Amino acid sequence: MRLQEYEAKEIFKTYGIPVPEFRVVRDPEAALRAGLDLGLPVMLKAQVLVGGRGKAGGVLKCETPEEVLTFSEELFRREIKGLVPKELMVEKACEVEKEIYLGCAVDGYEGRPVLILSKRGGVDVEDVFRRHPEKVNKFPLPIDGGFLPYQARGLSKELGFSGEGMLSISKVIYLLVKVFYEYEALLAEINPLGVSSGGDSICLDAVLEVDNAALKRIRANLPNPATRIENPIERKGREIGVTYVDLDGDIGIISSGAGLGMCSMDIIGDRLRPANFLETGGGITEELLYRCMELVTMKPNLRAIFINVYGGINPIHEGAKGVVRFIREKGLKIPIVAKALGNRQEETWEILRSGGVEVVEETDTESAVKRLCEILERGRS
Amino acid sequence: MLLDENTRVLVQGITGRIGSIQTKYMLEYHTNVVAGVTPGKGGMRVHSVPVFDTVQEAVKETGANASVFFVPAPGVLDAFYETVDAGIRLIVVVPEHVPVHDVMKMKEYAKEKGVVALGPTTPGLLVPNLGKMGIMPASLFRPGRVGIVSRSGTLSYEFAGILSDHGAGQSTVVGMGADPVVLTNLVEILRLFEEDPKTEGIIIVGEVGGEQEEMAAAYIKAHVTKPVAAYIAGRLSPQGKRMGHAGAMIRGEKGSWDGKVAAFREVGVDILRSPIEAGQWVKAKGLTGA
Repeated sequence: MRLQEYEAKEIFKTYGIPVPEFRVVRDPEAALRAGLDLGLPVMLKAQVLVGGRGKAGGVLKCETPEEVLTFSEELFRREIKGLVPKELMVEKACEVEKEIYLGCAVDGYEGRPVLILSKRGGVDVEDVFRRHPEKVNKFPLPIDGGFLPYQARGLSKELGFSGEGMLSISKVIYLLVKVFYEYEALLAEINPLGVSSGGDSICLDAVLEVDNAALKRIRANLPNPATRIENPIERKGREIGVTYVDLDGDIGIISSGAGLGMCSMDIIGDRLRPANFLETGGGITEELLYRCMELVTMKPNLRAIFINVYGGINPIHEGAKGVVRFIREKGLKIPIVAKALGNRQEETWEILRSGGVEVVEETDTESAVKRLCEILERGRS
Repeated sequence: MLLDENTRVLVQGITGRIGSIQTKYMLEYHTNVVAGVTPGKGGMRVHSVPVFDTVQEAVKETGANASVFFVPAPGVLDAFYETVDAGIRLIVVVPEHVPVHDVMKMKEYAKEKGVVALGPTTPGLLVPNLGKMGIMPASLFRPGRVGIVSRSGTLSYEFAGILSDHGAGQSTVVGMGADPVVLTNLVEILRLFEEDPKTEGIIIVGEVGGEQEEMAAAYIKAHVTKPVAAYIAGRLSPQGKRMGHAGAMIRGEKGSWDGKVAAFREVGVDILRSPIEAGQWVKAKGLTGA
């Protein structure tokens, strides 16, 4: 789960990382009050969980009270990469001389944390990464802490800083790594870290992404990840413990396993248009599949449902009962094609057929999709 | 490969709902399951397999030398240290939702101690007609000469099923695990398949995201002589929302379907656009039969 900028900054602040003074507001009047309170000029920053927010027009500088009002009205209406902000940060504008990049992330392949530093940060940092990889320093971190302040000073020095600047940056590096470990982060990022002519450092933008699997043991008040999902069906999916992805088409897909789901989507997508993608994970029960059917059919104008499951860890015969119960209770009329193989497959087929589901016994998804197409063709003629 | 006649399997979390039923399936497939461990349940029996409180006891009493985990996710790290410290050198971590920071610790410890570990979120490992460690549904597999390594659990079953239908059995089927950090990388599994005398061709089942396939392509070019085909799931998957910049930085822009396919094509790996094409591929390469 990625936190909003202001949530990340509140956490960074408790660790001693300097952040500008800010308020979080939900309407333009509150933005104006916050702006006057903090003292102009201020930055207005849309709180949306997307990258490249600044370039998409989600950050505006205001010099006058009128600007705070007009710009905040604008921002509350502006769609930034598909998302309209519900909250704005009103933040005291800072004069800085340099902007650098600090990021601490999990290197998935090596399976270890890595610290990434660039003396050129800000909105164009990805260009720097792409075009001037030699200007980026990467430093592998120990796996369970043990990163020391002197190492942070060494890194800060390597970035080309000295004196007060070197000291203030190294302090931030050290603290950012500490946040990364203690919050079991997948990513802790400051971009940019502003450095003033006097050598003071200040965190101008912050990203903190935490591992949902570790949330229960992080001793902090973190939001429930489900509340962070904008799409209501996707949010309901998270609440019942499945992954639901909303798409544009009209064929519902339920699979056990992300790989099988993606494979189904690829094959279906060549001929038809998937409406969604629901992946059950390894916890199938009768009730869960009932709820999955409920989610998938929340999508309007569905033409058919494609179910692709394996009985490995999952009791698919139990899941089949949930599917059939849903069909009966709701009087569902659209065609449902199912491929269900593995442990207790015959029993599963029998249950599914009793609810009018078209069962495909072939072992390959391709054949099952072919059957789905045939049924839809027949329905049309 | 990995699992053979001398493998003596320990099941950790054997008394749980899933551990118990999967032990039954492993036994029905004639896997040599010799012991179970659930702390506090020592002295019980599950499907007549003796249960111990600690891994050390289980190893001492039964000579267990491989372990499969059905331990709740928050307990996996501790169980992993316990198992490695008891001398076991093959571990299959089935559970999903193991915290990434725990997986990083496990991976480092496994490397240090020379342990082969699969997962987390893996269906495990199956050698047809010899045994299985994990949750693969046995009915889909047949003995033969093709090795399968898959990032996705359920797709490993799909490929095994399709090969079996086309008269091509499998030497060993390995689920790597579907998490962003896995305990053993694809390159290492390919090295094992290349060395395995029973494997004559290899199918890689990958998916978008991460860089396992890109690294594997470089390895294949330098070290793999056997024919290799690859399928990458997620060709039409919507691009995930980018989270910050660091992910793009770690090793450049990688992870897309196009990038992975190009990397494989460049080193002569045959690309399967759909799992069903695996059937034609094994025929073309003469890999059918047992």
